[in-house]
Amino acid sequence: MKRVFGQYKALLFAVCTLPIYAVASPLTINLPAETIVLRPSDLPGYVVAQQKCGICHSADYIEYQPPGFNQKQWTGLARKMKESYGAPLSESDVGLVGEYLAATYSGKPAVESKPAIKAIEVASNTVDKPAVVDVKTLLDQNACLGCHAIDRKVVGPAYHDVAMHYKGNAQAISQVIDHISHGGSGRWGEIPMPPFPGLQPAELKQLADFVLAQ
Amino acid sequence: MSTDNGNTIKRRVFLQGASLVAAGLAFKPLRSQAAETEAQDFANGTRELVAYPQKRPLMRITARPPHLETPFSVFNESVLTPNDAFFVRYHLANIPASIDADNYQLQIKGLVDKPLALSLSELKALGKTVEVVAVNQCSGNSRGYGSPRVFGAQLGNGSVGNARWTGIPLKAVLEHAGVQAGAKQVTFRGLDHPVLPTTPEFVKALGIDLALSDEPMIAWAMNATDIPFLNGYPIKLIVPGYFGTYWVKHLSEIEVIDHTFEGYFMEKAYRVPDNDCQCVPPGTVPDKTRPIGKLKVRSFITSLQPGDKVNVNEPVTLKGFAFDGGHGIQSVEVSEDGGRHWQLAVLGESLGNYSFREWTLQWQPREKGKVGLQVRAKGGQGEQQPVKALWNPSIYVKNNIETTPVTVV
Repeated sequence: MKRVFGQYKALLFAVCTLPIYAVASPLTINLPAETIVLRPSDLPGYVVAQQKCGICHSADYIEYQPPGFNQKQWTGLARKMKESYGAPLSESDVGLVGEYLAATYSGKPAVESKPAIKAIEVASNTVDKPAVVDVKTLLDQNACLGCHAIDRKVVGPAYHDVAMHYKGNAQAISQVIDHISHGGSGRWGEIPMPPFPGLQPAELKQLADFVLAQ
Repeated sequence: MSTDNGNTIKRRVFLQGASLVAAGLAFKPLRSQAAETEAQDFANGTRELVAYPQKRPLMRITARPPHLETPFSVFNESVLTPNDAFFVRYHLANIPASIDADNYQLQIKGLVDKPLALSLSELKALGKTVEVVAVNQCSGNSRGYGSPRVFGAQLGNGSVGNARWTGIPLKAVLEHAGVQAGAKQVTFRGLDHPVLPTTPEFVKALGIDLALSDEPMIAWAMNATDIPFLNGYPIKLIVPGYFGTYWVKHLSEIEVIDHTFEGYFMEKAYRVPDNDCQCVPPGTVPDKTRPIGKLKVRSFITSLQPGDKVNVNEPVTLKGFAFDGGHGIQSVEVSEDGGRHWQLAVLGESLGNYSFREWTLQWQPREKGKVGLQVRAKGGQGEQQPVKALWNPSIYVKNNIETTPVTVV
């Protein structure tokens, strides 16, 4: 942040003062880290919220809402995110997120809580295990295509570029499975990919196969 | 790197929340233990104070996209809000991380004789440099104090600020491009974009008459220095008298159109009930709405904070500010008895009709006990503040008479 202060540009116009020479360099900012995370829950909507709400905004949007809203109101808010802001939520996601938010955010403000990773484990163990479905449904259900496309970079890398990157790598399948399951950042830029702890091993393999075939 | 209307900028979408988990840092507790906080007198109103680039620690409403509110005590410092304390509000998280002013470009297009792509130096050379002191207030300022509460950014009273803006009249730029017959509105967009292609872009529109009036300005300086990055560096649209939603940051594209713009942030968001009070009975839905417009008259006490103690029989100088939508403040009054009697305050120097107007009043508390100090202002056209807050479904344009509870000891 000190760099920013050091880069104050000269006034290009100032009444009653002499112009100072402008510094010709871009102004760059680094923003402080987020500190609020979603409140842990063993409801399935918690996992959906982690994967989909966080694509576009930090969790403080939710954390600072007033107490007392009911499930219908929270579900309405989730629907607004889907319909007005284009959040990649299925109709069932809207219901799950509404249920999670109402159950978790309608009471008192958050208190310090157990580590989030623990809660993710709990959540992933209690999510209803869906039957294995086709890859298109998996892509839809997990909003993969919100951030990825086959042949061009969106938020994350193009699947084709991922496939090219791993070409000839004997560990490709297990590495891609690991990256989908646990998320991560730094491989394709600073924008992190959220973890998808709710996916079954067979589903992870299906998705990884699909990506690597592009 | 990506290009945006010719502007080459680095982008960064901030996803630290997700990365906390992803990077194995998930053992971090829900809130940072060490953070300083600022409490506000509404449920769930405590906010972390966090220092952002070019900013002192401000109340963080949201981290991504950045949304910061000014702690109210700042307004007692000066009539002009310091740049490093001025509130910040973005709607969409895909914001630029770096801007090169030397290669910045502003496009003017649509129904014009001569589409333009101006560098900053070309923009500055287009006409006479002008200045205005004007209030920028969030449409939802004070939403947290509303009742019944509604979803949205839960703001206290600090999503407002007053600054001296330096720039060129919007009119001069539009006239240089040559507005053609049939022009109905002018749209404005900046370098902030949605994360997902399915999310609507943040684009605002002004009617052609307002756009061609004397007041709107494209500013490059704020309080005689560069506009802070998070307030819209290097140029920002200033619409004196109008809510901040129209004050587009990192202004990059102006388009003259022959119809009413139908984008989400005009057609669906930032709308108020289409009636005089811009209000409906609490909890109900208006039949008809219109885009939010001008600021309503407001006034605040800044020299005392709620809960402060003052000594009986010792004179106190009460101080604060008032503003309206650009007609200038006629008067400010203070009551210590629940509004039965009002004392006229002394108005400070006028910095123009769009500015905060400082006021002071000598007050001598006569009796020990709790006192609710109330302040009300009369706007330049005689408009007054309602005793009880008016309500609409987004809690916009809140402007009721404020009460500061203090104890005389």
